[in-house]
Amino acid sequence: MQVVVEASPDTPLVWFDIAIRGGASADPVGIEGLHRHAALLARRGAGTRVRAVLDETLDGLGAALEVGVSRDSLSISGLALSRHADAVIALAADILAAPRFDEDEHARLLRETPQVLDEIRDDDGALATRWFDWLCSPGHPYGRTSLGTEGSLAKIRREDAIALWRREVVADNLVIGLAGDVDDARARSLAQRLVERLPAGAAIAQPEDTGERARGRRAFLVDKPDRTQAQLRIGHLATRYGHPDTPAIAVAEAILGGMFSSRLMQEIRVKRGWSYGAGCALRRSRLPHWFEVWTAAAIEVAGPAVALTLELYADYAANGPTEEEVDFARSYLIGAMPFHVATARQRMQLAVRDAVFELPAGYTAKLPEALGQLAAADVRAACARHFHPDDAVTVAVTTAETARAALEAANAGPITVVRHDEY
Amino acid sequence: MSSEWQLEAEAPIGRGVTAKRFRLHNGLGLIAALDRRAPILALQTWFRVGSRHERPGATGMAHLFEHLMFGQTEQLPPGEFDRLVERTGGESNAATWVDWTYYKLSLPARDLALGVRLESERMQHLVLEHDRVESERDVVTNERRERVEDDVDGWLDEQLMAHAFTEHPYRWPTIGWMEDIRALALPEIRAFYRTWYAPNNATIVCVGDFDERELRDLIAQHYGHIPPAQLPPASAAVEPEQQRERIVRAPKPIATDRLLIGYKAPGQDEPDWAVLEIVATLLAGCPSARLHRKLVIEQEAASSVDAQLTPFRDPSLMRLAVTTARGHDADEVIASIDREIARLVEDPPTAAEVEKAKALAETDLWSSLSDVDGKAEALGHYETALGDFRRLDTLVQHLTAVTAADVARAVRTYLVSTRRTIVIAEPEEGDDEADDDDEKVA
Repeated sequence: MQVVVEASPDTPLVWFDIAIRGGASADPVGIEGLHRHAALLARRGAGTRVRAVLDETLDGLGAALEVGVSRDSLSISGLALSRHADAVIALAADILAAPRFDEDEHARLLRETPQVLDEIRDDDGALATRWFDWLCSPGHPYGRTSLGTEGSLAKIRREDAIALWRREVVADNLVIGLAGDVDDARARSLAQRLVERLPAGAAIAQPEDTGERARGRRAFLVDKPDRTQAQLRIGHLATRYGHPDTPAIAVAEAILGGMFSSRLMQEIRVKRGWSYGAGCALRRSRLPHWFEVWTAAAIEVAGPAVALTLELYADYAANGPTEEEVDFARSYLIGAMPFHVATARQRMQLAVRDAVFELPAGYTAKLPEALGQLAAADVRAACARHFHPDDAVTVAVTTAETARAALEAANAGPITVVRHDEY
Repeated sequence: MSSEWQLEAEAPIGRGVTAKRFRLHNGLGLIAALDRRAPILALQTWFRVGSRHERPGATGMAHLFEHLMFGQTEQLPPGEFDRLVERTGGESNAATWVDWTYYKLSLPARDLALGVRLESERMQHLVLEHDRVESERDVVTNERRERVEDDVDGWLDEQLMAHAFTEHPYRWPTIGWMEDIRALALPEIRAFYRTWYAPNNATIVCVGDFDERELRDLIAQHYGHIPPAQLPPASAAVEPEQQRERIVRAPKPIATDRLLIGYKAPGQDEPDWAVLEIVATLLAGCPSARLHRKLVIEQEAASSVDAQLTPFRDPSLMRLAVTTARGHDADEVIASIDREIARLVEDPPTAAEVEKAKALAETDLWSSLSDVDGKAEALGHYETALGDFRRLDTLVQHLTAVTAADVARAVRTYLVSTRRTIVIAEPEEGDDEADDDDEKVA
């Protein structure tokens, strides 16, 4: 068990994050959504408390206790008034050690989750991201949906969720962070109470990077009626957060799309007024993940916006940034770090994330030291190594009838049209 | 120069942090709160101008400034404002709502002087010329497409305000109607700037790691010479009492019905606003809330339900937002909501239930004040919307005093069908052509 403590008495609150290694990327093939299902089910009753009693008890303490799933871990995140922290930790310990996995809640959750799929289909931005994740690098562990599909959800059995919990919720597979109005000794005592009833067991083996980057440009038009815009996602499988080039990539992404002064924002929004915004980032994860550009352009300029984005990206990958751009972005990133570590809660969350990503302690907080030593040539070399515009996948959620011809002229590769509600 | 300031008020904002309000001779307000846990600053400039200060036909004007104010000034070429801020590692942003507009700088502590200089420059010397306005007009129309035209929740929100209010300026959207955004004329844009962007219509809020005397000196130096403006009188618009339920329905490309219900509620300064905060929490503000339990868990008629009070200066709305579950519809959900509201009167909450809602409110309050941005936003909102940042403390006192009897009385008074407006988005059927022309109002 790894424990991170960030004490700060300035607010009478205690935050805690419990990360359980093995998130959605560890779902069995064909049973996507299992990790999410297990975590939500565990939150719906533990120990002697059925769901209603557990909810009532937590709410009565003024507390919040939420579960989530990422590609690399499950999470249980709590917020408690410091005078109630012991009681809330006891409830979280129950969820870890003695979830009820009640049959009726299992069945209800299986009925609920497809409706979350509906809500994603109703939200163009979320829909674009869901399709992009699926299509960016087929076969990659991060390409499988954390939510599941209607087909995979139908295969989830209660016994599978119970087995997953027994296998993965063991002390050595957890990273626990506590922050706020709690001193170090009390925090470590609370962390111990979270795990004292858990079985012994080693950290689980997590998926390896088996994904090959898909070659060649491809475009997918996710057809949805009545759209006035196109939600766009453009990118490809790149590298992992924590790769030796991470500082250089941070500078590179800031210049291309990580600031208001970035190239994408200036060219797409400021010069042309085509979109409210445009940006890019390497997704932060334990394994290599997507490098992704996003924007939402008016439907009448969706094709030109895709073409321009691909041109800008190709030029940037080939030539990299200028010395002045690197100097500016380095200054921005180094200066920005104090905002990311200003509160005890932020510091705790960054440390927990670094641990889940299997990075050295303090990796993210120490990035400014590495940034200060970067030369423009380092950034240009990183662009050449990790940016692959010729392999970019484009996903556009928009109305095909209106946008298709212009997208075909955007040099984004062969277009496949799919219905917005078929995945 | 610090002697030019008059200390007007002082009160705690969070544990160990005290906020002080000073006033400069030209009417400029300054709220300063030292919080030295990190070497950063939240420097925000709040203007008492929002969409309520617009006229019909020129809606979206206040929000357009949220964009224009990052442009060229007499001293700063286009793009320079953002470049200067980003070079420090800081960030800039802005927000507009019905009662206010505010501009936000997050800066390293060492860059206080830069922040004050930039904010004073754009308050006085913004360059409003054709090309820049047209470019931002395009950006705003795209923002509107993303947040309203192609977003069912944005559409529901806009329609609710448009139908719940018939006289008050709260009836038009803060981003503006599309045809108005396209028609805003440059002379009127310039006049709006001259009218509202003045020291006697602004409050600077600074929270973080700074020297208070240096802050006051810098602000006096950069703002002290700016004359106050002649501000227009406050709008006298009063929303008439709603006498009957209003219902709007329209088809949208969605999977299940979505509905947004707005009950007429008091303004945030009224004691009953705090009572309705407790009501909102009891109905749908936590996992054990009554409506959540009934609609989402027991009946499985909804996939989500949420309750919120809009924190407006004038009478506002208590909103219930529901996404129906597959196989269920809005009418069924409305009937269930009516039964639960009636039960809240017939079977009032226990003292423990009310205490639960108060504990959740306490957690929310402390959480919102846990960083410098949150503290600055709370100070700016209460000062600008309600006239005094200490209204936050008044609200806390009101919340503490709420009883179960208050809850039952507030439900009987406010949560009645004749005082509500319901907007329903329904899935489009088959291949029928459907657009906003199909909207039905009852």
